[in-house]
Amino acid sequence: MENLDAARLQMAFTLIFHIVFACIGMVMPFFMVVSHYKWLKTKNELYLTLTKSWQKGVAIFFVTGAVSGTALSFELGLLWPEFMKHAGPIIGMPFSLEGAAFFVEAIALGFYLYGWNKLPEKFHWFTGIIIGVSGVASGILVVAANGWMNAPSGFDYIDGEFLNIDPVQAMLNPAWFTQALHMTLAAFTATGFAVAGIHAYQVYKKRKVALHKEAFKIAITFGAIAAILQPISGDISAKDIAERQPVKLAAMEAHYHTEKGAPLYIGGIVDEVTQKVDYKIAIPGMLSFLAFGDFDAEVKGLNDFPEDERPNVPMVHYAFQIMIGIGSLLMLAGMIYFISLKKKKWLTSNKYWIFFIVLAPFGFIALEAGWIVTEVGRQPWIIHKIMRTKDAVTPMPGIVFSFYMYVVVYTALSIAVTWLMIRQIKVLNAIK
Amino acid sequence: MLYVVLFFLIFSLYLYVLLGGADYGAGIVELFSSEENQKITKKTIYRVMGPVWEANHIWIIILIVILWIAFPVYYNIIVVSLHIPLTIVLLGVTLRGVAFVFRHYDAIIDNSQQLYDRMFKVSSLITPVFLGMVFGGLINGKITIVDDVASITFYQAFVAPWFNGFSILVGFFFAALCAFLSSVLLIGESDEGQENIYVRKSGIATVVVFVIGLVTIVYGYIFEYTFVTYFLQNIYAIGAMLLSGLLLVPLWFTIKRGNKIWSRFFAGFQVFLILLAALITHFPYIIITTTGNISLLDHIAPDSVIRVLGISLIIGGAVILPGLFHLLKSFKMIKILEQH
Repeated sequence: MENLDAARLQMAFTLIFHIVFACIGMVMPFFMVVSHYKWLKTKNELYLTLTKSWQKGVAIFFVTGAVSGTALSFELGLLWPEFMKHAGPIIGMPFSLEGAAFFVEAIALGFYLYGWNKLPEKFHWFTGIIIGVSGVASGILVVAANGWMNAPSGFDYIDGEFLNIDPVQAMLNPAWFTQALHMTLAAFTATGFAVAGIHAYQVYKKRKVALHKEAFKIAITFGAIAAILQPISGDISAKDIAERQPVKLAAMEAHYHTEKGAPLYIGGIVDEVTQKVDYKIAIPGMLSFLAFGDFDAEVKGLNDFPEDERPNVPMVHYAFQIMIGIGSLLMLAGMIYFISLKKKKWLTSNKYWIFFIVLAPFGFIALEAGWIVTEVGRQPWIIHKIMRTKDAVTPMPGIVFSFYMYVVVYTALSIAVTWLMIRQIKVLNAIK
Repeated sequence: MLYVVLFFLIFSLYLYVLLGGADYGAGIVELFSSEENQKITKKTIYRVMGPVWEANHIWIIILIVILWIAFPVYYNIIVVSLHIPLTIVLLGVTLRGVAFVFRHYDAIIDNSQQLYDRMFKVSSLITPVFLGMVFGGLINGKITIVDDVASITFYQAFVAPWFNGFSILVGFFFAALCAFLSSVLLIGESDEGQENIYVRKSGIATVVVFVIGLVTIVYGYIFEYTFVTYFLQNIYAIGAMLLSGLLLVPLWFTIKRGNKIWSRFFAGFQVFLILLAALITHFPYIIITTTGNISLLDHIAPDSVIRVLGISLIIGGAVILPGLFHLLKSFKMIKILEQH
């Protein structure tokens, strides 16, 4: 395996894991404080049990998120030293603020976890809010740094030198808002559906039904609202990409030939040789409309771009289709949940619970697919149109070994965390 | 603003060495304890470190972020030449972090505890050793800077800088310092009647620190390491070292008297002096290579970057430090504050 490929795989692999841990660690505190609030309001023991059980989940995921994040902060330099040498000072601001937000989160978590019966009730609860808010802030700041790679700004690039650096402008790059909005909603959707699915399974198995139903409700409410809002954010993102990274949009849709009134392809298999998409459903003019708000607008095709500036088309296309497909499904599921609040009879049906059990992993699959679209879609650039990924990689050979090491360690870690969660639920169900 | 950035760089380094170091040290103390004492130590560590250990380790992230923003060239040399030990440090940080949480948050207590304990103890030793080796790598003059690494061997470029007697000694020296800090800290936190375990550990750690430190300097002197030569010629560095040694007297006095605040202060101050001695020896030439020294102050990021970073750090510090202080006060130091 080439060093570049190994480095890219390692980065992708560690990010895929970190994203899951980080999202759960970022969103679960909100579930926890809602349950905690209900405990303070109603003094119903059920909510206290649930809060304490969720806080253990938060602690475990916070730490796995934190250590995998620490690893990533080093990996940026270890794998891409040339990138960091130039980009580090420019995008340092969101990272330094993220460090501060993360610190606040760790302090608040210390107060929250160890503050039971020691801190004043309301202050204790409030530290839970700080965990959630600073977690989301961390997420937004990191995504802003990623946005800069897609929409580099805040400097002048003259003769291979980065001059007149403006870190504030770099942080507030044209992509930061669309990406951060999309990712925050995605984190709430994915975590909401995953947590809800786990509790739905417990309800389905008739274990502590009252408690798990409450847990399900809290989690799915967050997930459903986010899933219903997500298409709006997706539309903003699509229009933004159409303007700034037309080649990425073309790859997302496997759109090879420039045309007016471009159709939207749903599904299909990409044939790179004939430059056609087989077995797809085509909606005439829809791509033009989604990208530019006009059914007749011209959408640039991949052939308009030099071959060495195009990403891996099938991968981006399939990932995009998966994301859109699941996103639509979850939006529908969110609506079904809100309808079920009126039609209480549904809640007694096994089918209802099975539906949400099956959906548990889908939010995360969509979220990872979305990141594949963003990251693979930006290739061959590490900084869009400025620096190629192959020019950023470390000169140290043999990265493939560290890649293997990360595969082993992170896989073991994921198995361990899953196993721990199963044990948490077992104990929770055993409480009288 | 450069001074603000430098201040936070050194401040984070210090806090990482003191807080993170005490945290690593706790695992080392546990590793070198009898079975019964291990159980006591585990409980004490959880009570003392539990609320703060995460915060203790964020200092290294702040340190790294400041490095890459303000001193990108310097950062670049570290991550390329010392890639291997840094990867091992990361592995250690990961295993240690998850082991700490697993052993305290696993809902079912069974045999898997033994695995978590072993992971925690072993990685508590390996991580600071390799961190020390990274620091040793920066100052031992084995880093080779070339335009094209393909022109030198893999060993020369990526192994020689850290895999040598001097670096390994520095690694173990740092681990011993961690154990020293931690045992002094644990004296004040242990339950009635258990202080003696940690008083004894502090004694052992002091001897180990002294022996490894001496061997490192003698080794460096015999093999003519630039850093050691500088060190022996620098009157301030020697002075700081001697003062650190002299402080052992009040340290032992306060430990015997059971004065927990002052004993911690002296232990922390001793480590402060040791690090100070190392820093003034070669500051600002933080990296010593095969061909010469690289100053931290060369190749600084542009003014606009330093200015924004400085402001961010001041704002971040204003938010974090009071919170952190309050956290330490609420949990870790609560026993002491009550007594006084």
